[in-house]
Amino acid sequence: MKVLYSWLRDFVDVTDGPAEIGRRLSLRGLALEGIEPAPAGEEPPGRTPIDGDAVLDFDVTANRPDCMSVVGIAREIATVYRLPLRLPAPDAPGHLRTGALTPVDQATFRVTLEAPALCPRYVGAAATVAVGPSPGWMQRRLTALGVRPISNIVDITNYVLLELGQPMHAFDHTRLAGNAIVVRAARPGETLTTLDGKSRALTPSMLVIADAANAAAIGGVMGGLESEVRPDTTRIVFESAWFAPGSVRATSKALGLRSEASMRFERGLDQTGAGRGMARACALVEFLGAGSVDGTMVDAVARPFSPRVVPLTHAHVEGLLGMPVPVPEVERILDALGFTATADAARASWQVRVPGWRPDIARPEDLIEEVGRHHGFEHLPATFPPVFQAPPPSDPRIARDAAARRGMLALGFSEAISFAFIDAAAAAPFSAGEPPIALANPLSETFAVMRPSVLAGVIDAVSHNRRHGRRDVRLFEIATAFAARGERRSLAAAWTGAAAGDHWSGGRRDVDFFDVKGVVEHVGTALGVPLAFTLVEPDYLVAGRAAAVVAGTRQVGVCGLLAPALADARGIPRADDVYVLELDLDAITATAPPGATRVVPLPRFPAVVRDVSLLVDDTLSGATVRDTIQRAAPATLVSLREFDRYQGRGVPAGKVSVSLRLTFRADDRTLTDDEVGAAMTAVLAATRSALGAEQR
Amino acid sequence: MSSLDELTALISSYQQAFTEALAAADGTPASARQAAIDALKVAWTGRKSGKIADLMAHLPSLPPADRKAFGQQVNALKTAVETALADREARLAASRRPADAVDITLPGRAPAIGHRHPLSLVREEVQTIFTRLGYQVLEGPEIEDDYHNFEALNMPESHPARDMQDTLYLARAVQAAPVTPWAAAEAPRARGPQPLTLLRTHTSAMQIRYMEQHDPPVRLVAIGPVYRRDNLDLTHTPMFHQCEGLVVGKGITLAHLKGTLLAMAEALFGAGTQVRFRPSFFPYTEPSAEVDVACIRCKGTGCPVCKHTGWLEILGSGMVHPAVFEAVGYDPSEVTGFAFGMGIERVAMLKWDVGDIRLFYENDLRFLEQFSV
Repeated sequence: MKVLYSWLRDFVDVTDGPAEIGRRLSLRGLALEGIEPAPAGEEPPGRTPIDGDAVLDFDVTANRPDCMSVVGIAREIATVYRLPLRLPAPDAPGHLRTGALTPVDQATFRVTLEAPALCPRYVGAAATVAVGPSPGWMQRRLTALGVRPISNIVDITNYVLLELGQPMHAFDHTRLAGNAIVVRAARPGETLTTLDGKSRALTPSMLVIADAANAAAIGGVMGGLESEVRPDTTRIVFESAWFAPGSVRATSKALGLRSEASMRFERGLDQTGAGRGMARACALVEFLGAGSVDGTMVDAVARPFSPRVVPLTHAHVEGLLGMPVPVPEVERILDALGFTATADAARASWQVRVPGWRPDIARPEDLIEEVGRHHGFEHLPATFPPVFQAPPPSDPRIARDAAARRGMLALGFSEAISFAFIDAAAAAPFSAGEPPIALANPLSETFAVMRPSVLAGVIDAVSHNRRHGRRDVRLFEIATAFAARGERRSLAAAWTGAAAGDHWSGGRRDVDFFDVKGVVEHVGTALGVPLAFTLVEPDYLVAGRAAAVVAGTRQVGVCGLLAPALADARGIPRADDVYVLELDLDAITATAPPGATRVVPLPRFPAVVRDVSLLVDDTLSGATVRDTIQRAAPATLVSLREFDRYQGRGVPAGKVSVSLRLTFRADDRTLTDDEVGAAMTAVLAATRSALGAEQR
Repeated sequence: MSSLDELTALISSYQQAFTEALAAADGTPASARQAAIDALKVAWTGRKSGKIADLMAHLPSLPPADRKAFGQQVNALKTAVETALADREARLAASRRPADAVDITLPGRAPAIGHRHPLSLVREEVQTIFTRLGYQVLEGPEIEDDYHNFEALNMPESHPARDMQDTLYLARAVQAAPVTPWAAAEAPRARGPQPLTLLRTHTSAMQIRYMEQHDPPVRLVAIGPVYRRDNLDLTHTPMFHQCEGLVVGKGITLAHLKGTLLAMAEALFGAGTQVRFRPSFFPYTEPSAEVDVACIRCKGTGCPVCKHTGWLEILGSGMVHPAVFEAVGYDPSEVTGFAFGMGIERVAMLKWDVGDIRLFYENDLRFLEQFSV
């Protein structure tokens, strides 16, 4: 809301300049957005121009329709500066005078309220006018606040809107068929061409101001072109009404039409303000010499306004704020803001009557805010809330995700955070036949659907880094993946370029499947859940370089080489090998054994290590060889792992030489050579008979 | 015949010459030093043509009575020369690199260590601060229903305050149970599952979910991503992270909120950081306040970062609106509470002088690697 400093001074004799006023109001609830110098020009008769006049732009919060007016902001200033507020009145001098209108049931027109819920009060008054330009001082004030001067009559409606916050409209009286003003719901199929020249299709949920035949205005939103005031208009009817906020907001939204009037009505206006607005407009017609008013008004009231009375106790004020506010200070603030506070005998509580322009005040807490902000939040002491109990445990996902994060950081992966919405093409490979969750009103196609996999964002992050000249990339993200069946917390990672040794001394090696598999195993260790691997071939991974990750019997993720076509589609160079993994952390923790880790005592007896090289068919999986050995060996075999695989000279085609290291140990004794020898004999016999393996 | 005096003077001049030659050898580059020392050895201690041998050749020309004294003087010079050259050789040997020496100026091997995302660092810092203050830290669903995101927070349909946050809606509603591992076994006030229709616009939705499930007192922070239909620019992204705080109990006051936020500001930005409350409006708090911290760059004297106001807005807050308590079945005449919501990006931008919020979502390693592990 823009206000002119000199206009504010019509109502309050503040001596501080615009900047200081802006600073002080910002600490009282009206945030100053900016100050601009005001254009020079005429002042109203009897007023002298002010040096350094300026336009102050305040950010008025949605609960304060009253501050969408010069008077409303003047009232805040008067309260801050402890100055009296001077309102337009019948006995006020010159340009601040209001008229006195005699209420009548019927004037030269009739008013019928057919939709009392949407318009409980409608005030109309007629005048004979000579349309022409408004005086320079009025044009200057309107222009300064961004309103284009049109004619004396239209300018008066806008002047009252800005000054008092009461939207006004002027109809050409002669164009109101049947001299009737009917406030009703729009008829199905009804249309109206509004002042901006556009034809609007109306629906029965919208409120119109109609004459005997047709709609002439959309209530609270905009007038119609047909009945607008023109240069040759001689008779007018002013409208000053109260329209229900929800209806105005819905209509304005449905039509895509916002106006100075709709912006005010939708926040809720003062039902008692309609008469004041009319009196002011009529007085201005005569003050400007724009014509003569009939002197009567039709004040149609379907539902009389009854002011709210809100009880308030002094104990509640100090109890909620946590600071002392003396009783006279409470009363001063309420009074200055226009409340009528009636104290009990002990002045410990009040019945507070709320003025019509404060529809936001309904509860004691609302009054306490008024008292608190004008007493000043700067007086609040910094105290501390008492603790009565130990906090319940935090969300278990936080510690779990932190453990996974530590695991990934330790492996050289940097943490990424990406947008949860991605483009549909990026989501498609991960959707597994299920359509992703789409947004109804995405910002753009880039952000059209919720990611079904966190990998999508990580892949795009790899692409970004590759395009910015980064050869070796390790990134991970822990975030939510979305599906119709619900949200799940996912760990996704991508690795491309060097696995090790990117150093002048050489030894560089590019990442391969076993690197990414090792990462998955490490995360399993970090989370305390053993993870196994089975064959899987999702479309987005390269067949033969992909594995499903299994916890217990449940698939909890995948790892492998990203399909080059997909990498290419996301802008990653085709030659790059990008290894990826994704783990469903919720699924993994669901299978985790409960209870704390327990330390295994260190062995008291030495281990015996035996290496063996076996020639086996190269189609045989490592797991099969290990399982065969495991089954044949006694319980003293505590560790078994491949340490070499060799094909080439000395190994027949179709065979592979597998070297394994077997570690034997007993908890209760030192193993003898004979015991280990017998175990090795059993192992070799089993691999020979079951796998046809020969020892090399 | 020569006299002893003449020869003694000769020895002195030789001594002087050796001192100069030695200094010259010391001045040669390390690589040429051994050759210089070798040359000095030949020139001075060579058996046939060395300068010491030259001196000794004068011996027969002296009277026999002086020969002993002269011999002693020449020997003393010889010893001094030999000692000096041996010393230089030892020093040179000591300074020579062994065969397997490394060039310590070459770059070391960088250990593979990942870097944390700055938003993740701030998030953890905030979690730590509030854990220290006795808060429970929670996360909640990112896809929400209208009731929890708006209606229960005193923003009924058609409330103008809904325009304050431009909402992203789902094309089709989802029927899925929100994941809330902290849910109570019995939650008599929780509403049955409702169609999820939107991306939460604030973490305040968590306030409702929690209070439906738990009786007061409440002392929690909820952190996570929130979504608004804001175009990307230097200070806006359609997804960002919020930290929501909620304390409910008997006699909680606005002054308690001030003390709590002051403690947080000091922990985040350093001891002595000032906070300022400015009255504002949020539908779910009454009174409401925006909270500024004294500019962390200029300490309040005014600079471009704070647009010369001395203050930086960091969060919105207030006393929980009684209508919110009524929605979750709390008795507003029994309990009061405060709530606040802070942008994690905003804090990170202030802390590390990040000028463009979009950097947080590009995941450029050149950016990420500037943050600690």
